[in-house]
Amino acid sequence: MNAPSTMKPFRHVGTRPVRPDGVDKVTGKALYSTDFKAPGMLWGAILRSPHPHARILSIDTKKAEALAGVKAVATGRDLPTLESLVMHVGEGASDIVDVSHNCLALDKVLYEGHAVAAVAAASPEIAREALGLITVEYEELAFVLGLEEALAEGAPVLHDTVFTKGVDPKPDRPSNAAMRVEMGGGDVEGALASAAATVTGRYTLEPVHQGYIEPHACVASWNGDGQAQIWTSSQGHFAVRALTASVLAIPQADIRVTPLEIGGGFGGKTTVYLEPVAMVLSKKSGRPVRLAMTREEVFRATGPAPGAVIDVRLGAAADGTLVAADVEFLYHSGAYTANDAGAGVSSAIGHYRIPNSRVVGIEVLCNRPAAKAYRAPGAPQVNFAVESAMDELAGKLGIDPLELRLKNAAIEGDPQTTGLPWGRIGYVECLEAAKAHPHWSAPLGPNQGRGIAGGYWGNYGGPSTVNVSVAEDGTVTVATGSPDIGGSRASMAIMAAEVLDIPYEQVRAVVADTASIGVSMVTGGSRTTFATGMATVQAAEEVKRLLCERAARMWGVISDQVEWRSGEVICLDGEKQGQAMSAAAIAGRSFHSGGPIAAVAALSAKGWLPGFGVHICDTEVDPETGHVKIVRYTAVQDVGIAIHPDYVEGQIQGGAAQGIGWALNEAYIYGKDGKLDNAGFLDYRMPVASDLPMIEAVIVEVPNPSHPYGVKGVGEVPIVPPLAAVANAIHAAAGVRLKDLPMAPDRVYAALHPEG
Amino acid sequence: MRIVVMPPFDKEFFGADRLDLAPHNLFDLVERLEALAPGFAAIAPARVHFAVDGVLETDWTRELAQAREVIVLPRVGGG
Amino acid sequence: MSKIRVSTTVNGDAAEFLCEPTSSLLDVLRDTMGLTGSKEGCGSGDCGACTVVLDGEMVCSCLVLAPEAEGRTIATIEGVAEGSVLHPVQQKFLEHAALQCGFCTPGFIVAAKALLDRNPDPTESEVRYWLAGNLCRCTGYDKIVRAVMAAAAELRQERTPA
Repeated sequence: MNAPSTMKPFRHVGTRPVRPDGVDKVTGKALYSTDFKAPGMLWGAILRSPHPHARILSIDTKKAEALAGVKAVATGRDLPTLESLVMHVGEGASDIVDVSHNCLALDKVLYEGHAVAAVAAASPEIAREALGLITVEYEELAFVLGLEEALAEGAPVLHDTVFTKGVDPKPDRPSNAAMRVEMGGGDVEGALASAAATVTGRYTLEPVHQGYIEPHACVASWNGDGQAQIWTSSQGHFAVRALTASVLAIPQADIRVTPLEIGGGFGGKTTVYLEPVAMVLSKKSGRPVRLAMTREEVFRATGPAPGAVIDVRLGAAADGTLVAADVEFLYHSGAYTANDAGAGVSSAIGHYRIPNSRVVGIEVLCNRPAAKAYRAPGAPQVNFAVESAMDELAGKLGIDPLELRLKNAAIEGDPQTTGLPWGRIGYVECLEAAKAHPHWSAPLGPNQGRGIAGGYWGNYGGPSTVNVSVAEDGTVTVATGSPDIGGSRASMAIMAAEVLDIPYEQVRAVVADTASIGVSMVTGGSRTTFATGMATVQAAEEVKRLLCERAARMWGVISDQVEWRSGEVICLDGEKQGQAMSAAAIAGRSFHSGGPIAAVAALSAKGWLPGFGVHICDTEVDPETGHVKIVRYTAVQDVGIAIHPDYVEGQIQGGAAQGIGWALNEAYIYGKDGKLDNAGFLDYRMPVASDLPMIEAVIVEVPNPSHPYGVKGVGEVPIVPPLAAVANAIHAAAGVRLKDLPMAPDRVYAALHPEG
Repeated sequence: MRIVVMPPFDKEFFGADRLDLAPHNLFDLVERLEALAPGFAAIAPARVHFAVDGVLETDWTRELAQAREVIVLPRVGGG
Repeated sequence: MSKIRVSTTVNGDAAEFLCEPTSSLLDVLRDTMGLTGSKEGCGSGDCGACTVVLDGEMVCSCLVLAPEAEGRTIATIEGVAEGSVLHPVQQKFLEHAALQCGFCTPGFIVAAKALLDRNPDPTESEVRYWLAGNLCRCTGYDKIVRAVMAAAAELRQERTPA
C-alpha cells in the first residue's frame, strides 16, 4: 500500500475500528426484511406466469376471494394507469409504466415468473392456497430468449411501443432492439488494415444473478387517510418511496419508508417489485401486509445482469502500441428497456489510448426477467471480451501482457470513449503495483497458469443528505439517508470523528427513515462513501463552526479568537486566553446559548472519479475433468483513499469472488419451453468457501482531489477484471482460449479435447 | 457555444451531433434543446449528463457565459 | 389439521410450541418463538443462513420439521454469546470485518462454533470445507476464514492451562 502523498496525516481515516452495527449482526439481533412484523399483519403471496410470453385474456379471482382467511386480492387492474415517465432513482433509467407493469402485469406477461395477481391472507398457508384458486386465461405467444434470435426478422416483438432509440431516421416499426449507442472516432478499418498484429473474436456470456442471500421482502401499511408506512430492505428507501408513490400516483410525503437492514443488493435492490403491490393489498384489507419472495421467485422474477454477444477486433503496431479497436455488442435487456448499453460502451476500451475506435452497444428485449443493475452494470461483459483480446494480442506480439497494458494505459488528460478527458486516475499505478507484487513473479506448478486483466468503473456522486447533531454530553450522532450495505456507518463515523478530532466511539452513525432525513440517492454506483461522506464532512464542519461560535460567545470574544483543537475549543485571546472548552461543556449549555447544536448538509456531490483495478489470477486446470481451480488471486485497486481499509478490502474481495463465479459457474439456464431450469442455489451455483483461495486485496491510493479525504469509491470495480483474468489464466495453464462463459468443466474439457 | 450531442441522443432527438446555441445555463440549454426536439426535456434528468469544458456538471444552474463547449452524454449510474 | 404440541430446549431454556405437522423448525423459531436471528435465504438447505445446532449436530433448520424437535436440544445464534459477552467467533468476526451485509453471518457463526467445538485446530482447508454449506455473497470468504482461524487460536489459548 502506498502512502497518500498529498493529504495530511489522519487520526481516524485509514484505521479499522469495529463497525457500530456489528454486535447486532453477530448476535442475530439486527432486523432484516422478514424479521420485522407489524401488529395485525397479513401474509401476502404472488401468482406468477407459467408462460414466457402470453396475453392475459382474463383473471378470475372470485374463488380466491371467497376462501376463509383471504382479506384482499389484487391484479394489474388495481394499479393506476400512468403516463410514460422516465425516472432515474439510482442506476439505469426506468419508465415508471414498465416498473408498474413489472410489479403486476396488465395485458401481457413477458417472462416466466412475471407477477399477475397477489393475495393477502391471515396466514402464509392460506395465501398460498388462495393463489391456486385464481384462474388466469392466457393466450400463449411465441417467445424469444436469445439475443440474435430476438433481432431476427420475424421474431416475436415484446412491445409494440418500442422503436429503437439512437438510430436516425427513427424506425417505422417496433422491434426488440431497444437502444443503439455508438461512440468512437478515427479510421478504424484503415488502422486495422495497416496494423502489425490484429486479433478478432466473438465472446458470449449468459445472464447471471446478483445473488444476494436475503430475498426481497417488505411490509406495507396504507391507511384510509392516504398515509402509509413501508418497512423494507433496499439499497435506497428514498428510491422505494419515489417509485412506489409514482406507481400508485400518490404524494411521496404520504409514504414513510423505514429502512431495515439489507441482506445484500449489488444493484438488484435499487427498484421496487413488491412495495406497490403490498400497498394495494394493505389498502384493500385495511391491514399491514408482508410480501416476501422465495428464492425461486428471486431467480425467476428479479433482475439478472444482461448476457451478451460481443465482437471484438483489436490492432497494434509491432511495438505494442494499440492503433484500433472495434467492439460491437448485444446485451440482454430482458422484458423492459434497461439502459446498460451506454454504460457498456463507456466502459469498454477507455482504459487504453486508442486513436481509432468504434464501440457499438445494442440493448435487446427478450422474454427474460427485466435486467437490473449488477455491480458495475454493463462493464464486466464487454471487459471480458476486450481484456481477453488484449491477452491474445500480447501473445501474437510476443509482449508480456502486463507490459502491453502498461504501454497503452490511459493517464490523466487522455480522452475517454466519450471524448471527455480522464481526471486523476490510477490505472498505471495499479499496473505498476501488480508488476511489483510477488504474485506476478511467483513460480507456478504443473497445469497452472497466470492471467492478468485490468478494468474500471466510472463511480458516481449525486444527492445525499446528512444530519450531524451533538447531544448535551458532547457525543455526536450522524444520521444519513444511505442504507448501510457493507460498513458505511463505520466510514461515516470515521469521517465525522476526523473532522471533529474526537474519539470514534463518541460518534454514532444511523440510517434514518424517509421522514427523518432529506432525500438521498441509493447506496450504489460506488457513491456512498464519496457523496454521503462529503455531506457528512460538510455537516460535521458546520457543527465544529457552531461549537466554536458558541464558545466564543460564552467567553465574550469574536470567533476569530478561538480555535478548534483536539475536540475542544481553545481561547486564543483576551482574559480567557489559553482556556479550553470541551464539546460537552458547550453542548451542555447550548439551550442557553442559542439552542441545540446540529447541522444538515444536503448536496449533490460532484467531482467523483473512476476507480481502476488490475487482477492477477492463477488457475490449475485438471486435464482429465476440465475442472478449473483458482489457486491464487490478487486484486489491486486504486480507491482514492481508504477510509476503513477492512471494508475496502472486503469490497474488493467480494467483487472478485462474484467475478470468479461469473467466469466459472454462474449462468441462467433455460429449457426449450422458455422456463428457467436453475432457479435455486443448488443449480445456480455461486462460489462457496471451498471453491476459493484467500483473495489478496492490494489498496493503491491515488487521492481524489475533489473529496475532502480523497475518496473515489470502491465497490463496483472489482467485479470488472475477474472474468478475463480467469480466462487468461486458463489460457496460460492449458493453452485453450475460452470465449464463452461460464467456463464450466464441460466446456473446458471440450476445449482440451477438440477431437471429442 | 458548441454543443456536442453524443449517441444515442444525436440520432434519437436531433439528427445532428453538433449544435450551436448560446444558453446562459444548463436549464436554459435543456429548454433550447426541448424546442429543437420535443421530448428531450422529459428524459434529460434521468438519462443525460452534461459536461462543461470537459468536466461533468450536475448543477444545472451553472453559468455558461465563459464556457466554450457543452457535451450532452448518456448518464451512467451504478449498482 | 390439528396442531402438534412440541416440547424442546432452546438455548438452554425449556420451550413449548404448537405447530402444523408441515412447519419447518426455522418457521417456528422465527415466527412462533420470535428468534429471527436464523435467516431464510433459500428454504431448500442450500445457503446455510438458517444453521442451528440440534442435539450437537449442525443442521439447516429450514430442512427440519418442527415436530422433529420434540425432546431435543436446539442452539441458535441467539444463544452463542454468554449474556453480553461475545463468543470468540463473534468477537473475531467483528475484529476481522468478516461481515458486510451481515445476513449470512448468524449461520456462519453457528457453523464455525460447531466446527471449533469439535476441532479446536482446523486447517484453512478444513475451515473452508466445513463452511462450504454457508453462502456469503459479500465477502469472498477471505475475512470469514481468517476470523474463524483467529477464533480457533484464541480458544486454544483460553483452553491451555496457564
